[in-house]
Amino acid sequence: MRSFIEFVVRTKDYITLSALIVICFAMMTYGNVAQLGGFRTVVVGGIGWIQNVFSWVPNPVALKSENRALRELNLQLSTEAAKMRHAMLENEKLRKMLAFKEPTNTPIVPAEVVGKTTVQLRNFITINRGAKDGIKPGMVAKTDAGLVGTVVSASENFALIQLIIDRDARIAARIERTGIDGIVAWEGEENLIIKNIPKSYDVQAGDLLVTSNYSNKYPAGIPVGRVTEVRDEANSLFRRIIITPSVGFSSLEQLYVVLYIPNPERARLEQEMEARVMESIRARTTRRER
Amino acid sequence: MPVFSEQSSVLNTSPALRYVYYGVIALVLSIIHRMFLDLISVAGVTPDLLLILTVWIGVKEGRAVGQFAGFGSGLLFDIISVDVLGTNALAKAIAGFIAGLFYTDDEREDRTGNFRFLLIVFLCALIHNLIYFFFYIRLTEMSFLDFFIKYGVASTLYTTVAAIFPMLYSSRKKRYDDRDF
Repeated sequence: MRSFIEFVVRTKDYITLSALIVICFAMMTYGNVAQLGGFRTVVVGGIGWIQNVFSWVPNPVALKSENRALRELNLQLSTEAAKMRHAMLENEKLRKMLAFKEPTNTPIVPAEVVGKTTVQLRNFITINRGAKDGIKPGMVAKTDAGLVGTVVSASENFALIQLIIDRDARIAARIERTGIDGIVAWEGEENLIIKNIPKSYDVQAGDLLVTSNYSNKYPAGIPVGRVTEVRDEANSLFRRIIITPSVGFSSLEQLYVVLYIPNPERARLEQEMEARVMESIRARTTRRER
Repeated sequence: MPVFSEQSSVLNTSPALRYVYYGVIALVLSIIHRMFLDLISVAGVTPDLLLILTVWIGVKEGRAVGQFAGFGSGLLFDIISVDVLGTNALAKAIAGFIAGLFYTDDEREDRTGNFRFLLIVFLCALIHNLIYFFFYIRLTEMSFLDFFIKYGVASTLYTTVAAIFPMLYSSRKKRYDDRDF
Protein backbone atom coordinates (compact mmCIF):
# COMPACT_ATOMS: atom_id res chain seq x y z
CA MET A 1 0.00 0.00 0.00
CA ARG A 2 2.81 2.34 0.94
CA SER A 3 4.66 1.67 -2.28
CA PHE A 4 1.42 2.36 -4.19
CA ILE A 5 1.05 5.73 -2.42
CA GLU A 6 4.68 6.52 -3.17
CA PHE A 7 4.08 5.61 -6.81
CA VAL A 8 1.04 7.92 -6.95
CA VAL A 9 2.98 10.77 -5.35
CA ARG A 10 5.91 10.23 -7.71
CA THR A 11 3.73 10.18 -10.80
CA LYS A 12 1.03 12.64 -9.72
CA ASP A 13 1.75 15.03 -12.57
CA TYR A 14 1.36 12.28 -15.17
CA ILE A 15 -1.84 11.06 -13.49
CA THR A 16 -3.22 14.61 -13.49
CA LEU A 17 -2.32 15.06 -17.14
CA SER A 18 -4.04 11.78 -18.02
CA ALA A 19 -7.13 12.89 -16.10
CA LEU A 20 -7.16 16.24 -17.94
CA ILE A 21 -6.83 14.44 -21.29
CA VAL A 22 -9.75 12.17 -20.40
CA ILE A 23 -11.83 15.22 -19.40
CA CYS A 24 -10.98 16.92 -22.71
CA PHE A 25 -11.99 13.85 -24.72
CA ALA A 26 -15.19 13.56 -22.70
CA MET A 27 -15.98 17.20 -23.44
CA MET A 28 -15.27 16.71 -27.14
CA THR A 29 -17.43 13.60 -27.30
CA TYR A 30 -20.30 14.33 -24.96
CA GLY A 31 -20.04 18.09 -24.41
CA ASN A 32 -23.33 19.78 -25.11
CA VAL A 33 -22.36 23.03 -26.77
CA ALA A 34 -25.96 24.24 -26.51
CA GLN A 35 -25.61 24.40 -22.72
CA LEU A 36 -23.00 27.10 -23.23
CA GLY A 37 -25.32 29.10 -25.44
CA GLY A 38 -26.22 31.56 -22.69
CA PHE A 39 -22.63 32.15 -21.65
CA ARG A 40 -21.50 32.53 -25.26
CA THR A 41 -24.27 35.08 -25.81
CA VAL A 42 -22.83 37.14 -22.95
CA VAL A 43 -19.33 36.79 -24.48
CA VAL A 44 -20.60 37.85 -27.92
CA GLY A 45 -22.46 40.82 -26.40
CA GLY A 46 -19.49 41.92 -24.29
CA ILE A 47 -16.90 41.61 -27.04
CA GLY A 48 -19.27 43.14 -29.58
CA TRP A 49 -19.68 46.18 -27.34
CA ILE A 50 -15.89 46.61 -26.98
CA GLN A 51 -15.38 46.09 -30.73
CA ASN A 52 -18.03 48.71 -31.40
CA VAL A 53 -16.15 51.18 -29.19
CA PHE A 54 -12.94 50.55 -31.15
CA SER A 55 -14.57 50.35 -34.60
CA TRP A 56 -13.26 53.84 -35.45
CA VAL A 57 -9.72 52.42 -35.67
CA PRO A 58 -9.10 52.33 -39.45
CA ASN A 59 -7.57 49.36 -41.22
CA PRO A 60 -5.60 50.88 -44.15
CA VAL A 61 -5.14 47.53 -45.92
CA ALA A 62 -8.89 46.91 -45.84
CA LEU A 63 -9.66 50.45 -47.03
CA LYS A 64 -7.34 50.11 -50.01
CA SER A 65 -8.76 46.78 -51.11
CA GLU A 66 -12.29 48.06 -50.50
CA ASN A 67 -11.62 51.02 -52.77
CA ARG A 68 -10.35 48.78 -55.52
CA ALA A 69 -13.25 46.37 -55.11
CA LEU A 70 -15.79 49.21 -55.18
CA ARG A 71 -14.33 50.64 -58.37
CA GLU A 72 -14.49 47.24 -60.04
CA LEU A 73 -18.01 46.71 -58.74
CA ASN A 74 -19.09 50.11 -60.01
CA LEU A 75 -17.87 49.31 -63.50
CA GLN A 76 -19.53 45.94 -63.43
CA LEU A 77 -22.79 47.28 -62.03
CA SER A 78 -23.15 50.07 -64.55
CA THR A 79 -23.02 47.58 -67.43
CA GLU A 80 -25.23 45.12 -65.62
CA ALA A 81 -27.82 47.78 -64.70
CA ALA A 82 -28.61 48.42 -68.34
CA LYS A 83 -28.90 44.70 -69.03
CA MET A 84 -31.12 44.23 -66.00
CA ARG A 85 -33.52 47.00 -66.92
CA HIS A 86 -34.08 45.29 -70.21
CA ALA A 87 -34.36 41.85 -68.56
CA MET A 88 -36.84 43.14 -65.97
CA LEU A 89 -39.21 44.45 -68.60
CA GLU A 90 -38.90 41.25 -70.53
CA ASN A 91 -39.38 39.18 -67.38
CA GLU A 92 -42.51 41.10 -66.42
CA LYS A 93 -43.96 40.53 -69.83
CA LEU A 94 -43.17 36.81 -69.75
CA ARG A 95 -44.52 36.41 -66.22
CA LYS A 96 -47.78 37.96 -67.26
CA MET A 97 -47.91 35.61 -70.19
CA LEU A 98 -47.28 32.58 -67.96
CA ALA A 99 -49.40 33.95 -65.05
CA PHE A 100 -46.49 33.44 -62.59
CA LYS A 101 -46.75 34.61 -59.00
CA GLU A 102 -44.20 37.12 -57.70
CA PRO A 103 -41.46 35.39 -55.73
CA THR A 104 -41.77 36.07 -52.03
CA ASN A 105 -39.26 38.61 -50.74
CA THR A 106 -37.57 37.47 -47.55
CA PRO A 107 -37.06 40.45 -45.20
CA ILE A 108 -33.48 41.54 -44.65
CA VAL A 109 -31.77 43.56 -41.93
CA PRO A 110 -28.84 45.82 -42.90
CA ALA A 111 -25.90 45.66 -40.51
CA GLU A 112 -22.40 47.03 -40.09
CA VAL A 113 -19.35 44.96 -39.28
CA VAL A 114 -17.92 46.16 -35.96
CA GLY A 115 -15.27 43.49 -35.48
CA LYS A 116 -13.40 40.74 -37.21
CA THR A 117 -11.97 37.72 -35.47
CA THR A 118 -9.47 35.22 -36.79
CA VAL A 119 -9.01 32.39 -34.33
CA GLN A 120 -6.73 29.61 -35.51
CA LEU A 121 -7.94 29.79 -39.11
CA ARG A 122 -11.54 30.20 -38.06
CA ASN A 123 -13.04 33.42 -39.27
CA PHE A 124 -15.84 35.35 -37.63
CA ILE A 125 -17.23 38.84 -37.79
CA THR A 126 -19.33 40.73 -35.26
CA ILE A 127 -22.18 42.92 -36.51
CA ASN A 128 -24.05 45.73 -34.77
CA ARG A 129 -27.46 44.05 -35.02
CA GLY A 130 -28.74 41.38 -32.67
CA ALA A 131 -31.75 39.55 -31.28
CA LYS A 132 -33.51 42.91 -30.84
CA ASP A 133 -33.61 43.24 -34.64
CA GLY A 134 -34.93 39.71 -35.10
CA ILE A 135 -31.56 38.06 -35.76
CA LYS A 136 -31.28 34.47 -34.62
CA PRO A 137 -28.59 31.78 -34.94
CA GLY A 138 -28.91 29.93 -38.24
CA MET A 139 -29.79 33.01 -40.30
CA VAL A 140 -27.75 33.83 -43.37
CA ALA A 141 -25.68 36.95 -44.02
CA LYS A 142 -25.01 38.25 -47.53
CA THR A 143 -23.97 41.34 -49.43
CA ASP A 144 -24.94 42.55 -52.85
CA ALA A 145 -21.95 40.54 -54.12
CA GLY A 146 -22.86 37.23 -52.51
CA LEU A 147 -22.89 34.91 -49.53
CA VAL A 148 -21.05 35.98 -46.37
CA GLY A 149 -21.86 33.33 -43.77
CA THR A 150 -24.20 32.17 -41.04
CA VAL A 151 -25.16 33.70 -37.71
CA VAL A 152 -23.82 31.43 -34.97
CA SER A 153 -24.69 33.47 -31.92
CA ALA A 154 -26.71 36.58 -31.15
CA SER A 155 -26.94 38.80 -28.11
CA GLU A 156 -29.42 41.66 -27.66
CA ASN A 157 -27.49 44.17 -29.81
CA PHE A 158 -24.78 42.14 -31.56
CA ALA A 159 -24.44 38.94 -33.55
CA LEU A 160 -21.50 36.72 -34.43
CA ILE A 161 -21.28 35.48 -38.00
CA GLN A 162 -19.21 32.51 -39.08
CA LEU A 163 -17.85 33.34 -42.53
CA ILE A 164 -17.91 30.88 -45.43
CA ILE A 165 -14.10 30.98 -45.30
CA ASP A 166 -14.14 28.84 -42.17
CA ARG A 167 -13.20 25.23 -41.66
CA ASP A 168 -16.73 24.29 -40.54
CA ALA A 169 -18.52 25.95 -43.43
CA ARG A 170 -19.99 23.58 -46.02
CA ILE A 171 -22.15 25.06 -48.76
CA ALA A 172 -24.33 23.09 -51.13
CA ALA A 173 -23.72 25.00 -54.35
CA ARG A 174 -24.64 24.75 -58.01
CA ILE A 175 -22.69 25.87 -61.06
CA GLU A 176 -25.16 28.26 -62.62
CA ARG A 177 -24.23 27.59 -66.25
CA THR A 178 -24.44 23.79 -66.17
CA GLY A 179 -26.43 23.01 -63.02
CA ILE A 180 -23.72 20.72 -61.59
CA ASP A 181 -24.01 20.40 -57.80
CA GLY A 182 -21.22 20.09 -55.28
CA ILE A 183 -20.17 20.87 -51.74
CA VAL A 184 -18.03 23.96 -51.37
CA ALA A 185 -15.50 24.03 -48.54
CA TRP A 186 -12.70 26.31 -47.44
CA GLU A 187 -9.12 25.12 -47.58
CA GLY A 188 -7.30 28.16 -46.28
CA GLU A 189 -6.38 31.64 -47.51
CA GLU A 190 -9.04 33.36 -49.62
CA ASN A 191 -10.08 30.45 -51.84
CA LEU A 192 -12.85 27.90 -51.66
CA ILE A 193 -12.77 24.46 -53.29
CA ILE A 194 -15.06 21.79 -54.61
CA LYS A 195 -13.62 18.31 -54.69
CA ASN A 196 -14.80 15.08 -56.25
CA ILE A 197 -16.27 16.54 -59.43
CA PRO A 198 -15.80 13.92 -62.18
CA LYS A 199 -13.48 14.92 -65.02
CA SER A 200 -16.26 14.33 -67.53
CA TYR A 201 -18.37 17.18 -66.07
CA ASP A 202 -18.35 20.53 -67.79
CA VAL A 203 -16.75 23.09 -65.48
CA GLN A 204 -14.81 26.09 -66.75
CA ALA A 205 -12.92 28.97 -65.23
CA GLY A 206 -15.29 31.92 -64.87
CA ASP A 207 -18.38 29.82 -64.03
CA LEU A 208 -20.55 31.35 -61.31
CA LEU A 209 -21.53 29.26 -58.28
CA VAL A 210 -24.77 29.94 -56.44
CA THR A 211 -26.31 28.27 -53.39
CA SER A 212 -28.24 25.21 -54.40
CA ASN A 213 -31.87 24.24 -53.84
CA TYR A 214 -30.56 21.19 -51.99
CA SER A 215 -29.30 23.37 -49.19
CA ASN A 216 -31.55 23.80 -46.24
CA LYS A 217 -29.07 26.09 -44.55
CA TYR A 218 -28.90 28.79 -47.22
CA PRO A 219 -31.67 30.21 -49.41
CA ALA A 220 -31.15 29.16 -53.05
CA GLY A 221 -29.59 31.39 -55.66
CA ILE A 222 -27.14 33.46 -53.58
CA PRO A 223 -23.81 33.86 -55.42
CA VAL A 224 -20.97 32.03 -53.66
CA GLY A 225 -18.04 32.67 -55.98
CA ARG A 226 -16.48 32.17 -59.38
CA VAL A 227 -14.39 29.26 -60.62
CA THR A 228 -10.84 30.47 -61.10
CA GLU A 229 -9.03 27.22 -61.72
CA VAL A 230 -9.95 23.66 -62.68
CA ARG A 231 -7.25 21.15 -61.73
CA ASP A 232 -7.20 17.53 -62.84
CA GLU A 233 -6.04 15.42 -59.91
CA ALA A 234 -3.33 12.93 -60.82
CA ASN A 235 -4.34 9.24 -60.81
CA SER A 236 -7.92 10.16 -60.09
CA LEU A 237 -11.19 10.39 -61.96
CA PHE A 238 -12.01 13.62 -60.21
CA ARG A 239 -11.22 17.29 -60.50
CA ARG A 240 -10.38 19.86 -57.95
CA ILE A 241 -12.08 23.18 -58.55
CA ILE A 242 -10.75 26.39 -57.03
CA ILE A 243 -13.25 29.15 -56.41
CA THR A 244 -12.76 32.81 -55.55
CA PRO A 245 -15.53 33.98 -53.19
CA SER A 246 -17.84 36.67 -54.54
CA VAL A 247 -17.41 38.67 -51.34
CA GLY A 248 -14.14 40.43 -50.57
CA PHE A 249 -13.84 39.49 -46.91
CA SER A 250 -10.86 41.72 -46.22
CA SER A 251 -12.90 44.83 -46.99
CA LEU A 252 -16.28 43.71 -45.73
CA GLU A 253 -18.01 46.51 -43.82
CA GLN A 254 -21.72 46.31 -44.54
CA LEU A 255 -23.96 43.32 -45.04
CA TYR A 256 -27.54 42.12 -44.83
CA VAL A 257 -28.90 39.41 -42.61
CA VAL A 258 -31.67 37.45 -44.29
CA LEU A 259 -34.41 36.81 -41.75
CA TYR A 260 -34.78 33.26 -42.93
CA ILE A 261 -34.64 30.29 -40.62
CA PRO A 262 -34.19 26.89 -42.23
CA ASN A 263 -37.04 24.42 -41.84
CA PRO A 264 -36.29 22.90 -38.38
CA GLU A 265 -37.81 19.52 -39.24
CA ARG A 266 -35.66 19.19 -42.37
CA ALA A 267 -32.58 20.46 -40.51
CA ARG A 268 -33.06 17.89 -37.72
CA LEU A 269 -33.49 15.06 -40.20
CA GLU A 270 -30.35 16.09 -42.12
CA GLN A 271 -28.33 16.50 -38.92
CA GLU A 272 -29.33 13.01 -37.79
CA MET A 273 -28.25 11.58 -41.12
CA GLU A 274 -24.96 13.50 -41.05
CA ALA A 275 -24.27 12.24 -37.51
CA ARG A 276 -24.93 8.67 -38.64
CA VAL A 277 -22.58 9.03 -41.63
CA MET A 278 -19.85 10.56 -39.44
CA GLU A 279 -20.29 7.76 -36.91
CA SER A 280 -19.84 5.10 -39.61
CA ILE A 281 -16.74 6.90 -40.99
CA ARG A 282 -15.29 7.06 -37.46
CA ALA A 283 -16.02 3.35 -36.89
CA ARG A 284 -14.40 2.47 -40.22
CA THR A 285 -11.31 4.56 -39.40
CA THR A 286 -11.01 2.92 -35.97
CA ARG A 287 -11.32 -0.55 -37.53
CA ARG A 288 -8.66 0.32 -40.11
CA GLU A 289 -6.30 1.61 -37.42
CA ARG A 290 -6.70 -1.64 -35.48
CA MET B 1 12.61 50.58 -10.29
CA PRO B 2 11.42 50.17 -6.71
CA VAL B 3 7.69 49.86 -7.61
CA PHE B 4 8.51 47.15 -10.12
CA SER B 5 10.57 45.30 -7.54
CA GLU B 6 7.93 45.64 -4.81
CA GLN B 7 5.26 44.32 -7.13
CA SER B 8 7.50 41.43 -8.19
CA SER B 9 8.32 40.50 -4.63
CA VAL B 10 4.61 40.38 -3.63
CA LEU B 11 3.91 38.13 -6.61
CA ASN B 12 6.94 35.99 -5.82
CA THR B 13 5.92 35.35 -2.24
CA SER B 14 2.20 34.72 -2.74
CA PRO B 15 1.40 31.91 -5.21
CA ALA B 16 -2.38 32.49 -4.90
CA LEU B 17 -1.96 36.12 -5.93
CA ARG B 18 0.29 35.02 -8.76
CA TYR B 19 -2.36 32.60 -10.08
CA VAL B 20 -5.01 35.32 -9.96
CA TYR B 21 -2.57 37.53 -11.87
CA TYR B 22 -2.14 34.80 -14.52
CA GLY B 23 -5.93 34.42 -14.74
CA VAL B 24 -6.42 38.13 -15.35
CA ILE B 25 -3.68 38.13 -18.00
CA ALA B 26 -5.34 35.12 -19.70
CA LEU B 27 -8.66 36.95 -19.77
CA VAL B 28 -7.10 40.11 -21.22
CA LEU B 29 -5.15 38.11 -23.81
CA SER B 30 -8.24 36.21 -24.91
CA ILE B 31 -10.09 39.50 -25.44
CA ILE B 32 -7.13 40.89 -27.40
CA HIS B 33 -7.06 37.67 -29.41
CA ARG B 34 -10.73 37.95 -30.31
CA MET B 35 -10.63 41.66 -31.11
CA PHE B 36 -7.32 42.82 -32.48
CA LEU B 37 -5.35 39.85 -33.80
CA ASP B 38 -7.18 40.06 -37.10
CA LEU B 39 -5.15 43.21 -37.78
CA ILE B 40 -1.89 41.27 -37.74
CA SER B 41 -3.08 38.02 -39.30
CA VAL B 42 -1.04 36.79 -42.27
CA ALA B 43 -3.11 34.62 -44.64
CA GLY B 44 -5.40 33.75 -41.76
CA VAL B 45 -2.54 32.74 -39.45
CA THR B 46 -2.30 34.49 -36.09
CA PRO B 47 0.06 34.04 -33.15
CA ASP B 48 -1.40 32.10 -30.22
CA LEU B 49 -1.04 34.48 -27.28
CA LEU B 50 -2.65 32.12 -24.77
CA LEU B 51 -0.18 29.41 -25.74
CA ILE B 52 2.71 31.78 -25.05
CA LEU B 53 1.19 32.51 -21.63
CA THR B 54 0.79 28.78 -20.97
CA VAL B 55 4.43 28.13 -21.84
CA TRP B 56 5.50 31.07 -19.68
CA ILE B 57 3.55 29.68 -16.71
CA GLY B 58 4.85 26.15 -17.35
CA VAL B 59 8.47 27.28 -17.47
CA LYS B 60 8.08 29.48 -14.38
CA GLU B 61 5.89 27.22 -12.23
CA GLY B 62 6.49 23.65 -13.34
CA ARG B 63 4.51 20.99 -15.13
CA ALA B 64 1.66 20.62 -12.57
CA VAL B 65 0.71 24.29 -12.75
CA GLY B 66 1.60 24.43 -16.46
CA GLN B 67 -0.85 21.73 -17.43
CA PHE B 68 -3.68 23.28 -15.39
CA ALA B 69 -2.89 26.70 -16.87
CA GLY B 70 -3.01 25.17 -20.35
CA PHE B 71 -6.26 23.40 -19.63
CA GLY B 72 -7.87 26.56 -18.22
CA SER B 73 -6.69 28.89 -20.96
CA GLY B 74 -7.62 26.33 -23.62
CA LEU B 75 -11.11 26.01 -22.21
CA LEU B 76 -11.45 29.79 -22.15
CA PHE B 77 -10.29 29.87 -25.75
CA ASP B 78 -12.77 27.15 -26.77
CA ILE B 79 -15.61 29.12 -25.23
CA ILE B 80 -14.77 32.49 -26.73
CA SER B 81 -13.84 31.11 -30.15
CA VAL B 82 -17.01 29.02 -30.53
CA ASP B 83 -14.83 25.94 -31.01
CA VAL B 84 -15.61 22.36 -30.02
CA LEU B 85 -15.22 22.30 -26.25
CA GLY B 86 -12.05 20.47 -25.24
CA THR B 87 -9.91 20.73 -28.41
CA ASN B 88 -7.85 23.73 -27.36
CA ALA B 89 -7.98 22.61 -23.72
CA LEU B 90 -6.38 19.28 -24.66
CA ALA B 91 -3.69 20.79 -26.90
CA LYS B 92 -2.79 23.53 -24.44
CA ALA B 93 -2.80 21.24 -21.37
CA ILE B 94 -0.22 19.00 -23.08
CA ALA B 95 1.78 22.04 -24.23
CA GLY B 96 1.75 23.39 -20.64
CA PHE B 97 2.96 20.06 -19.33
CA ILE B 98 5.81 19.94 -21.85
CA ALA B 99 6.79 23.52 -20.99
CA GLY B 100 6.84 22.47 -17.33
CA LEU B 101 9.49 19.87 -18.11
CA PHE B 102 11.91 22.77 -18.64
CA TYR B 103 11.23 24.18 -15.17
CA THR B 104 14.17 24.49 -12.80
CA ASP B 105 14.21 25.31 -9.08
CA ASP B 106 17.13 27.64 -9.47
CA GLU B 107 15.74 31.13 -8.84
CA ARG B 108 18.88 32.78 -10.16
CA GLU B 109 18.43 31.30 -13.58
CA ASP B 110 16.64 33.46 -16.12
CA ARG B 111 14.00 31.05 -17.37
CA THR B 112 12.04 33.28 -19.74
CA GLY B 113 14.41 36.07 -20.68
CA ASN B 114 16.64 34.26 -23.14
CA PHE B 115 16.51 32.44 -26.47
CA ARG B 116 15.95 29.14 -24.70
CA PHE B 117 12.43 30.37 -23.97
CA LEU B 118 11.83 30.87 -27.70
CA LEU B 119 12.97 27.32 -28.40
CA ILE B 120 10.57 26.02 -25.73
CA VAL B 121 7.73 28.08 -27.24
CA PHE B 122 8.59 26.70 -30.68
CA LEU B 123 8.57 23.11 -29.43
CA CYS B 124 5.35 23.52 -27.45
CA ALA B 125 3.62 25.37 -30.31
CA LEU B 126 4.62 22.62 -32.74
CA ILE B 127 3.20 19.90 -30.49
CA HIS B 128 0.14 22.03 -29.69
CA ASN B 129 -0.57 22.56 -33.38
CA LEU B 130 0.00 18.88 -34.20
CA ILE B 131 -2.67 17.93 -31.67
CA TYR B 132 -5.01 20.80 -32.49
CA PHE B 133 -4.88 20.35 -36.26
CA PHE B 134 -5.40 16.62 -35.87
CA PHE B 135 -8.85 17.43 -34.51
CA TYR B 136 -9.21 20.50 -36.69
CA ILE B 137 -9.22 18.93 -40.12
CA ARG B 138 -11.51 16.25 -41.34
CA LEU B 139 -9.17 13.49 -42.40
CA THR B 140 -11.60 12.29 -45.03
CA GLU B 141 -11.41 15.61 -46.86
CA MET B 142 -7.80 16.74 -46.84
CA SER B 143 -4.33 15.52 -46.16
CA PHE B 144 -3.22 16.14 -42.58
CA LEU B 145 0.44 16.47 -43.54
CA ASP B 146 -0.18 19.04 -46.29
CA PHE B 147 -2.41 21.09 -44.05
CA PHE B 148 -0.09 20.89 -41.08
CA ILE B 149 2.98 21.90 -43.10
CA LYS B 150 1.07 24.79 -44.62
CA TYR B 151 -0.67 26.15 -41.51
CA GLY B 152 0.62 24.32 -38.43
CA VAL B 153 4.24 25.25 -39.08
CA ALA B 154 3.30 28.81 -40.10
CA SER B 155 1.30 29.26 -36.92
CA THR B 156 4.17 27.79 -34.86
CA LEU B 157 6.67 30.23 -36.36
CA TYR B 158 4.36 33.21 -35.89
CA THR B 159 3.73 32.26 -32.25
CA THR B 160 7.50 31.92 -31.70
CA VAL B 161 8.09 35.35 -33.22
CA ALA B 162 5.41 36.85 -30.96
CA ALA B 163 7.10 35.22 -27.94
CA ILE B 164 10.07 37.56 -28.51
CA PHE B 165 8.12 40.35 -26.76
CA PRO B 166 7.58 38.56 -23.41
CA MET B 167 11.17 37.30 -23.66
CA LEU B 168 12.48 40.86 -23.99
CA TYR B 169 10.20 42.01 -21.16
CA SER B 170 11.49 39.25 -18.92
CA SER B 171 15.11 39.90 -19.78
CA ARG B 172 14.69 43.63 -19.06
CA LYS B 173 12.88 42.95 -15.80
CA LYS B 174 15.63 40.58 -14.72
CA ARG B 175 18.22 43.26 -15.44
CA TYR B 176 16.31 45.79 -13.31
CA ASP B 177 15.89 43.29 -10.48
CA ASP B 178 19.61 42.43 -10.55
CA ARG B 179 20.48 46.13 -10.45
CA ASP B 180 18.20 46.76 -7.41
CA PHE B 181 19.50 43.94 -5.27
